[in-house]
This record gives sequence, C-alpha cells and structure tokens, in this order.
Amino acid sequence: MKKNSLGGRFLIGLCFLFLYLPIFLLIIFSFNKGDSSAVWKGFSLHWYAELFHNRLVLDSLATTLLVSLLATAIATVAGTFAAVGIYSLTKKWRDPVLVVNDLPMMNADIVTGVSLCLFFVAFFHGWGAIARWINSWQDLFTLPEQLHLGLTTLVLAHVCFDIPYVILNVAPRLRQMDSNLVDAAQDLGCTWMQAFVKVILPEIKPGIVSGALIAFTMSVDDFVISYFTAGSSTQTLSMTIYGMTKKRVTPVVNAVSTIMFLAVLTVLVINNIRSAKQARLAAKRASFEPVRENPRVERFKEWLYTPRGRFAKRLTAVVLCAAFVVTTVFLTAFTQSQPVVNVCSWGEYIDEDLITEFEEQTGIRVNYQTAESNETMYSLLKSGGADYDVIVPSDYMISQLIEEGMLAELDYSQIPNFELIDQRFRNLPYDPENKYTVPYTWGTVGLIYNAALVDEEITSWSALYDDRYAGQVLLIGNSRDAFGIALKYLGYSMNTTDEDEIREAYELVADAYERGVFQGKVMDEVFQVMEGGNAAIASYYAGDYLSMLENNEDLRFVVPEEGSNWFVDAMCVLKTADNYDNAMKWINFIASTDANLRNMDYIWYASPNTEALERYPTWYEEQYEEPLDPAIYEIIAAPQDVLDRCEMYLCLPKPTRVLYNDLWIKLGI
Amino acid sequence: MSKELIRLQDVTQVFDGETVLDHVNIYFNDSEFLTLLGPSGCGKTTMLRIIGGFQTPTSGDVFFDGQRINNVPPYKRKVNTVFQKYALFPHLNVYENVAFGLRIPKEAGDGSKEKIKLSKEEIDARVREMLEVVSLKGFEHRSIASLSGGQQQRVAIARALVNRPRVLLLDEPLGALDMRLRKDMQQELKRIQQRLGITFINVTHDQEEALAMSDTVVVINEGVIQQIGTPEDIYNEPKNAFVADFIGESNIVDGIMREDKVVEIFNRRFACLDAGFEKDEPVDVVIRPEDVDIVSEAEGQLRGVVTAVTFKGVHYDTIVDFYGFKWLIQTTDYCPVDSHIGIKIDPDGIHVMKKSKYSGMFGDYSSYSEEYDEINDPTLVEVDEEGRDDEE
Repeated sequence: MKKNSLGGRFLIGLCFLFLYLPIFLLIIFSFNKGDSSAVWKGFSLHWYAELFHNRLVLDSLATTLLVSLLATAIATVAGTFAAVGIYSLTKKWRDPVLVVNDLPMMNADIVTGVSLCLFFVAFFHGWGAIARWINSWQDLFTLPEQLHLGLTTLVLAHVCFDIPYVILNVAPRLRQMDSNLVDAAQDLGCTWMQAFVKVILPEIKPGIVSGALIAFTMSVDDFVISYFTAGSSTQTLSMTIYGMTKKRVTPVVNAVSTIMFLAVLTVLVINNIRSAKQARLAAKRASFEPVRENPRVERFKEWLYTPRGRFAKRLTAVVLCAAFVVTTVFLTAFTQSQPVVNVCSWGEYIDEDLITEFEEQTGIRVNYQTAESNETMYSLLKSGGADYDVIVPSDYMISQLIEEGMLAELDYSQIPNFELIDQRFRNLPYDPENKYTVPYTWGTVGLIYNAALVDEEITSWSALYDDRYAGQVLLIGNSRDAFGIALKYLGYSMNTTDEDEIREAYELVADAYERGVFQGKVMDEVFQVMEGGNAAIASYYAGDYLSMLENNEDLRFVVPEEGSNWFVDAMCVLKTADNYDNAMKWINFIASTDANLRNMDYIWYASPNTEALERYPTWYEEQYEEPLDPAIYEIIAAPQDVLDRCEMYLCLPKPTRVLYNDLWIKLGI
Repeated sequence: MSKELIRLQDVTQVFDGETVLDHVNIYFNDSEFLTLLGPSGCGKTTMLRIIGGFQTPTSGDVFFDGQRINNVPPYKRKVNTVFQKYALFPHLNVYENVAFGLRIPKEAGDGSKEKIKLSKEEIDARVREMLEVVSLKGFEHRSIASLSGGQQQRVAIARALVNRPRVLLLDEPLGALDMRLRKDMQQELKRIQQRLGITFINVTHDQEEALAMSDTVVVINEGVIQQIGTPEDIYNEPKNAFVADFIGESNIVDGIMREDKVVEIFNRRFACLDAGFEKDEPVDVVIRPEDVDIVSEAEGQLRGVVTAVTFKGVHYDTIVDFYGFKWLIQTTDYCPVDSHIGIKIDPDGIHVMKKSKYSGMFGDYSSYSEEYDEINDPTLVEVDEEGRDDEE
C-alpha cells in the first residue's frame, strides 16, 4: 500500500514535471544573458528592458489589451443577458441550448477562425453593393464601400468566442439562485427590470466577474482566431510572438511569454480563490447554517451601509468605469492613428529602430506584420483576408505573383533611392524589366557544420548524404531547398523540369534517409540543434549561420563547390494596396544606404545597395570599434565568383510543382 | 371581520395539460387567518401564486376588493408574500432586506402616474418598527448568512409586512424550521396577525399547524376544494373521507343510515346525532380513535381482538380487529395483544358522511404501521414543488 502511494506520487510528480518544465525553462531562459535558447550565459534582465523598447511588442500589446477589454465588456453584457434568457426557457429547451452553447468552446479554434474570416469576407463582398446603393440616394453621409478585416472584425470575433465562456460561468449562478428571489422582488414592488438590477445582478455577480475574467484571459491568449480575423493592419501580442518565432525563439519572446504566463496565472488564481469562497458560502446558505464571518469583514460590510460607505462604493464604481473608458480611449488612440502603411515581411527581418525613424520622419504609421513563409503569405493574399500594401516575397514567389497579376507597377519617380541598387540586382529573371520590385536583401544557402564534430574541411554537398555522419545531418525542411540542393549536387539545374533528374534527386535523398543519415527535418529548430551541438551538419541561410555563430564558435559555413541557391527578397506593392503613396515612401526609405547598412548589420543578410555593400566593413568598424572579419563579410555578401556558382530559383511550372509535392510526401520524413 | 376581500371565481389552472386547479370558487375575508391545507401537489401553492400575481389562471377571475385583478402584475398588488425558504436577498443585510420594498417608488394608486417616494426618515421609522414587531431589534446590520433559520423567517415576515399589505401570503412558512421552532413560530405568527389585524393566507400541508393557527381552514385535494370551515368544524364534521383522514386520525367504515339518528355498522345499530339522510342510504361513518371506550367483551357494542399496542405517553394506540377490519383506538387503558375486548361509542362520537369518491380509500388501519409512521415523522418536510418547472 505504502509502496503504491509512493509510486502514485512519483507519477503525479512526473506529470507535473512534464506539464511545467517547458514553462519553467522558458522563464529561466528569459533571464539569459546570451541570445540563445539553448546555451546559458548568465543572468540578465536586458531582454525585459528590450521588450519595453520593442515597438512591435508594445503596439501589439496595446492592440491585445484594447481588443480583450472591449470584447470582454461586450461579451459580458451580451452573455449575461443570454444566460438569463436561456435560464427563463422551459427545461425542454434550456438543456439543448446550453449544449449548443458549449459547442463553440469545444470546436477547433481553426474552424472558428476560418469560418469567421469567411463570414466577414463574404459580408464585405455584399457590403460594397449595399453601401453604393445607400450612397446613391442620399448625401447626408457617405458609407465606405470597401471594408477590411481589422480591429472591428477582431473585436467581433473575440466577442463571438468569449460569449460562451460568460454564459458558462453565469448559468450555474442562475441555477443556484432561489427562483423565488425574483418573485420576492416583484412582490415588493419591483418591475422585472428593477428586479433584474436589484436582485438578479447582485446574486449572479460572482459568475459575471469570473466569466469576464475567463473571457479576458481567453482573449489575451487567443492566437488562431485572431490570426484569421485581424487582417493585416492589426496584430495581437500572440500573433507578434508567433511572427518573432519565424526565425528563432529569441529571449525577447521568452520574456513576453513569461509576462503573459504570469499575468494569466494571476487572473486565474484570483478567480479560483473567489470561486472556492463562493462555493463554501453557497453550501452554508443552502443548509441555513449561520455563517460566522471574520469580525473585520463584518465591520467592513456594516461600514458599506453607512453614508460614507455608500459614497465609497459609488466612487469605486465610477472610478472603475472611468478607468475602463480612459484605458479604452487611450488604447484606441494608440492603435488607430492615420495615415498608415501596411507592411508584411519576415520575422526578425528588420532593424526595428528604422520603423520608428520612418514614423517620426513622415508621420506615417507602419503596421509591420510578419508571415512565416512565402507559401503562407501567398495563401493569405489569395484568401482575400489580408490588406497589405508592401510585401517582401522571395524571387520565385515574385514571378508567380506577377504572373497572376497581383502586383502593382511601382512609381520609380517616387523612389529615387532605387538608383542606389547595384546593377547586379536589377532586371533579374523574376522581374526582367524591373517594373514591380526593389530588392531588399540577398544571400546564399550553404552548408553549416560543427568543426568540433567534423574533423575535415567540408567543401561538397556530399557530406549531407555521407554515411560517416549518420544521424548527424539535418535535412532542410522544405521540398524546394531539399531537392534543389540534391539536384545541384548531381550537377543538374535547380530549376530543371526534367522529371528523371528530379526523381534522381529524390532517390539520393530517400536513399540517405533510409541509411539513417538524417537526424530529422528542420526549419527554425536548426538554431537550437546546431547551437547546442546536437547535430553536425545542416544546410541553411548564410545570414542565419552568423546568428548561430554568436552562440557556438565551432560552427563553419561553406557554399559548396557544386554551387547552391542564391536568392533575393524584394519589396513589392499589391494591386489592392490602399496606401500606395505611403508604400512608395516606405520603399524609398528602406532602399536608402543608411537603412541598408543598419538592416545588414541587424539581420546579417546582404544588402543590394552598392554603397552600403561597399561601406559596410568601415561602417562596422566605426560602430563597434573593431574591424569586421573579412571571412564573415564574405559569408554575408558572397563574392561574385561564389554567386557565379549559384543559381536563383525560378517559378516552376505547375506539373513540376505537383511532382515536388508528391515526392516530398512520399519521402515522409 | 366578515368583509369579503379576495374572491377566486371559477378559477382553473392547467399546466401542460394537467389540471392543477379545477373550477375553484372561494372568497377570503378581511382580517382573518386562513390556511390552505392539502397534500403536496394539490394546488394550494398555485392558488397562492394566483393571488400574489405570479400566475395568471388559465380561466376564471380573481377579484380584489371588488376589482378584477387577473392582469395586474405582482408589483401593483396590495399583497405581499413570505416565500418558501424565505427568498431573502443574500447580498443585503437585515435592515436593507426589510427596507427593500419601501425604497421602491410606488404609484399612489389614485390613478395618477406620479410615484410616491418615501423619505429616509419614514423608511427608517417603519423598518425599525417592523423589526421590533418580529423581535429582531439589534440585528439591523447582520448579514443574512449569519442568521439562523428562525431569524431569517422573521426577516422574511418583516420584509413583507413593512409594506403594509392588505393581505400577507405565506407559502409553507414553517417548512424549513425544526419541530420546536415551528411550534414557537405558530404562536408568533398568530400574535403578529392579531396585532396588525390584516388577512393572512397561509399554505401548508401540516394539518396540526393549520388547526392551531387558523380562523378558517380550506382543505384542498386534486385541485378541488374539499371543505371550508373553522378548525373545529373541519375536525368534528369532516365532509368526506378525504378530509376525515387528512385531518387527524379516523376510523372510516361503511354504514347504512336506517333512520334519522340511527346508523348501522357491522349489522349493529348505533345511536348518532346525524339526520337528513334517505332511509337506508349507504354512508361513510367516521369514528375518531379517542371517541371509543374499551369495555369488557360482554358490555361491548362491538367485540374484537387486540392486534397491536403502542405506548404514546398520554395514551396507548391500540389496534383492534373487528371482523377483519382494523380500527385505531386511543385509550389510557392498557389491553395486551390478543386480548378479547368490547367497545362502546357515544352518539356524539359518531359522524356520518355522504358517500364520496374517496369512500373506501381511507380510514382502514390494516396497513397501520407504515401509514402511521409516515404521518408522525417530523423529518419528512415536504417541499411543495407544484408548478415550479413550468414557471422557471
């Protein structure tokens, strides 16, 4: 028996460890001095300091708070009335309705999110006609004909998923309530509405408060539904965190997450303590057992009935209401200033001071969004759920977008800084006449290896498929790169449409996989694994290698002799852009030499700006008072002879894309 | 005393096809203490709720002081209610609970839309006065949760009475109290009613409570009024077997009215006081257990065998088998089981009733033990749930 309970306790301990260890680790690493999530470099609070200087985080925090507050307020009122309504139904109807109420909570968020998105978009489609019609016969006011996903839809979506939680919390209070209470109030002269205010509300107040608290935490926590309903101009905190993890989980994310975790934890603990107390009280009341209260509490309650107490109560209520209104107004002002430009880029892909600087210079607010890959951005655009102005897709995606007529031609007269772009990066295959794009960065894909684990100097892709490194190699996690590298190793073009060549590349990868060479398929996880020395070889982007190098000096980078992929990410403007002129200003600003230098320094990706590229080593020395290692400079900005070995991805024809996809699935790693 | 205040005229209430009140006609006099008595589900609470305005009858009319009030909402009626389990407002203290009704501005009742708002001083004076009436002085600032059941009961009464209603409705007011407290509160309620001189309409299923407190008792069963009368009338002159059985203990046997003041039971003639029946009319005969004298077998009008004896303190409950029909006899004489005895009944101990649909259903003590236990179990507090589900 004793042994059993010991085993049981051990199991419980294990469960809790499993539940809380990840969060515990996250909290620990939010205090890490270094910027790795795998290597501890001493205690520091500087990520928290950085957090409060991070414009993106602060912006989205304001949005999150605003949306949560508004949604909670609306949902609490609506949910309370709904619960009272449901409760006044006969039993025959009440129980089914309550089950229906539970459904949205159990429903997958993604389904709720997608359906709301579809609903809004469908409504917007119909709205145009209605607005035009109304505008046509009256001129008192003009209704906007174009509506977009944004703060309003976000709030509506949150209201929608918050209401069931409010009902869920209020309904039991109504059930516990003596049904005679309302009769009693009416008997004493109240109309139904007076009875509701004077008797029902105070009685179900604990349920309303906990419903509101739960709804608030749900709103703050939500990611999936927000993601689909926020549109491009609005971003909640959880969306920002997700955007930040696109490349890697920096300790800033840990810091934000820690604060979020603690905030939600606090709210829930408060709520649970309250509920437990309420439950004890209710049990005593049901049995008519006199409750002995703490004399202090008793005296305080008496005081509340004195004129002063009443005044204090009213004052508190007024102050709370005022605080709510002021917060809401303040947050609204903070999130809703015009004019704007909506930019969609990649996570950790800009020196954020540039955003602030642009805003200060021009007074244009930048809604800076991030997507996690070209493909997800593409599907977002296709679904019509995004209203970006500027996007920064990669080369092959650009040609696809041009082909589909989704990009607007740029007005180069408004972008004088385009002249600073190096000739090498103009008129590239994806935009041969250079009518649509201004390059943002460029770089190469190479082979990263850990010199402590590999005792030779690697120069060929063959290492990726080598039995000697069995279980030590990380396969890049997308079909284009994985097969592209294999094609290059086999001496074929990365853009080949020859099915036999592609199948040969597949065989190469599949064979290596069967021999157990690959440890796994990775994208962003590559940072943790390589920095921690848990794998020896990987293929990834040059700029990211340099970030890894800061945490593990044993890592080496090489663009193998067979050649590799080189890529350009360029700024484009969507045809549907609402803020075309602001978009031109933004592109011009980012194309400047100064912005290019700072971006290059921040993200370690090479600049297409001739001057910036040349000046970077000297600029670096001025900034950090130490010379830039030429080897590193060569990795950032591959010299021309290396570029000559490399090939740029072109947009593949559809059958080839399908083949890639099928083979990738067949590989099944 | 005898002025009519409330009248229910041909009132029928149907819930989901189930008739809860069936063409009820009744009036209530001013300043009387009236009790609606009946088993649970008989329709008594529904009747109370119709008077209170919480229920609109399916058909029929309700008159108050001569005016039809079918569609007058509860907050406009000069009626207040003490609810089952009191329904006190838990978020307010004693004082505020009592002051609740006074703080709500009410229409003056003279037809104008203007509402009368009482001054703070008046509210205070009336609340304090009423708390004194219910002996709760000094409890003003106590929270409801800190009160005992009896104290909560008093708050509920004060909260209703402070509005100076013409009628106070009490829905099983003593149901949640324990035995001793119930007895005290019976006295208390009667005292308050006499002091204020207003009409109390009390609903209960406890016949002892009904007899002890009321001026008038209304016995209801299956939505139909069985009998209306003073407690003495109801006890001594029950109209049918149901009433006879529900109020107190009764032996009910078949008899034949041979002529005025002569009834035949078990083929023997007994002198009685009842008259006005047809000759040889079959009737129900009620003989209260305490009206039977045990005598020697030779002297007895009837002879039987004792089958069970229970000592009850003041008397013995003796079950006697007469020709296969078992009677309950309450006597101070001890007769051991299996002894053969005779009995004598005085003419005023016999009550003859017309046959009714309840004939033959009650008054046989063959199944003595179960029924008796059930009647005397004070822990079996019924909560009248009639109609509840449909109103929620």
